Amino acid sequence: MSTAAINDVKRPNKIHRYKPKDSSAPGDDPTPDYMNLLGMIFSMCGLMMKLKWCAWCAVYCSFISFANSRASEDTKQTLSSFMLSISAVVMSYLQNPQPMTPPWQ
Amino acid sequence: MKLTLALSLVLLVFLCQNVGGKKSHKPADLDDNEFAEFEDFDDEGVLSSAEQEATVEEEADFPSESDDIVKTQAKKDDDNEEEEDEGVVENDDDEFEHFTDEDEFEGFDKESRPGKGKSHEVPDLKIAKVPIHLRTNWDSFYLEMLMLAGLGVYFLNFLAGKTKNGKLAQAWMSSHRSILEENFAIIGDDGLSKEAKGTGVFNKESENVYTLWCSGRTCVEGMLVELRLLKRQDLINVMTTIMKPASDQIIVKVTMDASSMDKFCFCIGQKKVMAKLLKEQPDLGQFTEKKAVENYNLPESFQLQSEIGEATSIVLDKKVCAYLEKYEQQIEYIHISDQYSGAKSQYDENQSKMPDVRPSLVFCFNVPGKGKTKTSDVDGMLPLMKLVFYCVDKVGRLALSKEKRLKAEKNRAKAAEGYLKAAHSQLQEAAQLRREEKRRLAKEKIMNEEDPEKARKWEERESKRDMKKKQAKTKMMKVKGM
Repeated sequence: MSTAAINDVKRPNKIHRYKPKDSSAPGDDPTPDYMNLLGMIFSMCGLMMKLKWCAWCAVYCSFISFANSRASEDTKQTLSSFMLSISAVVMSYLQNPQPMTPPWQ
Repeated sequence: MKLTLALSLVLLVFLCQNVGGKKSHKPADLDDNEFAEFEDFDDEGVLSSAEQEATVEEEADFPSESDDIVKTQAKKDDDNEEEEDEGVVENDDDEFEHFTDEDEFEGFDKESRPGKGKSHEVPDLKIAKVPIHLRTNWDSFYLEMLMLAGLGVYFLNFLAGKTKNGKLAQAWMSSHRSILEENFAIIGDDGLSKEAKGTGVFNKESENVYTLWCSGRTCVEGMLVELRLLKRQDLINVMTTIMKPASDQIIVKVTMDASSMDKFCFCIGQKKVMAKLLKEQPDLGQFTEKKAVENYNLPESFQLQSEIGEATSIVLDKKVCAYLEKYEQQIEYIHISDQYSGAKSQYDENQSKMPDVRPSLVFCFNVPGKGKTKTSDVDGMLPLMKLVFYCVDKVGRLALSKEKRLKAEKNRAKAAEGYLKAAHSQLQEAAQLRREEKRRLAKEKIMNEEDPEKARKWEERESKRDMKKKQAKTKMMKVKGM
């Protein structure tokens, strides 16, 4: 018993609280931010230039951004990027219901 | 005479009538000529055929309707007209014979004319190609199907990867819980709750990064365990890992109490990682030197950076060396330093300010399996956690000799001086820039000043000031020379 007490390294009176890492520091992994931006650019290109493949790429980019996002990040931005890409796809098909043609055809 | 006069009058009247009649009769004549072909028919029949023509001209798209009109009108008439109805059909050819005259029209091919009444009433329409409609042909949307399938696959992989990573974290927690509970008062703290209650679970930073903060131990301020798993939730990353295998990593960062650790800097790790660490960690670059691993009978794959040899030999005792040999692949690096500040930011090239340092021990372990990790592999990391606590206790008890301590303090003082000088030179540069800016503004002001008197006075003042400065400098030179 006494040896256990001597070997007890726990100090309940010396507890320090966890300080979460500063999320504004870019260092770690910029993938979600880049993908978010890329997704928005593709969406705008798809909407304005009526390019279906742009709109599809935007959907993929927003998916990738969502998959790589950090928990501390705002979900609203990811969601809005996703909605924008979906609207780009829908608008390009409403304006031109024809299917996409691959570049080799 | 009277007779002749009367006769001539009658002739004149007759002539006048004839002329007037001709004019009035012209359209009639024309009409008559137009419908000369229909002379044999009744008036109504003539009308019906005329209407027919009109309908053909006006409503070329609806031949059936014109036919209907013709038919209904024909029904109203007598038997003659019934005959005419058929006759109309038959006589249609005659009616429009002049349209089928090859001499009349260019490029008209009599033979290609459609057979019966209906079709040749309708002008030859070129029907445009109808674009592929959604309802009719799904096969043409194969690219879209492919895209959707890709998205589906990505989403399924996301779910699978997320679940796998969660399971690995859970497995680590269950196997290490006992050793953590033996060493720390609280396990798991998110830093947000009012009271310091141990949650006992990881904080999920992202789908592949899990952190755990433990605190309440002798010599130790706290320990942060970071599970940096592979991005199994991202399909692109999964494919990259297939081509270039990588491992899940566990990074254990123990922050010591300020007074618990002696002053020294030490790092041992895999050669390929050490180069990167030397660049990123300012304390390693400033205080340590490369030392030979052969002195400690360690594997060749390791590289050793040490500041104080005495400290290195105390840390690298038999037990630690045995661990390093046994778990050669799993130990990425061990970094022990009282000047630990974390990786320096790439953007902050300015090293004028001394970074915020804490005495720390950082251990980076690779989970075996090279990506294809199983939960049993994570359980196998337990001995390495025991190594962590062993090193922590050792470093806490470590006491350098006076000589080495002085050497260490001297090194730190030198580093601090270097920072101060850099800061001072920066301040000087800034002051110089400010002064020049001030002068430039004053000059501009004077240049814009219209009053020549004022400008002259300012210039005189400036020249006097310059003269004084020069004199002061020369005076100083003279004193120094003496």
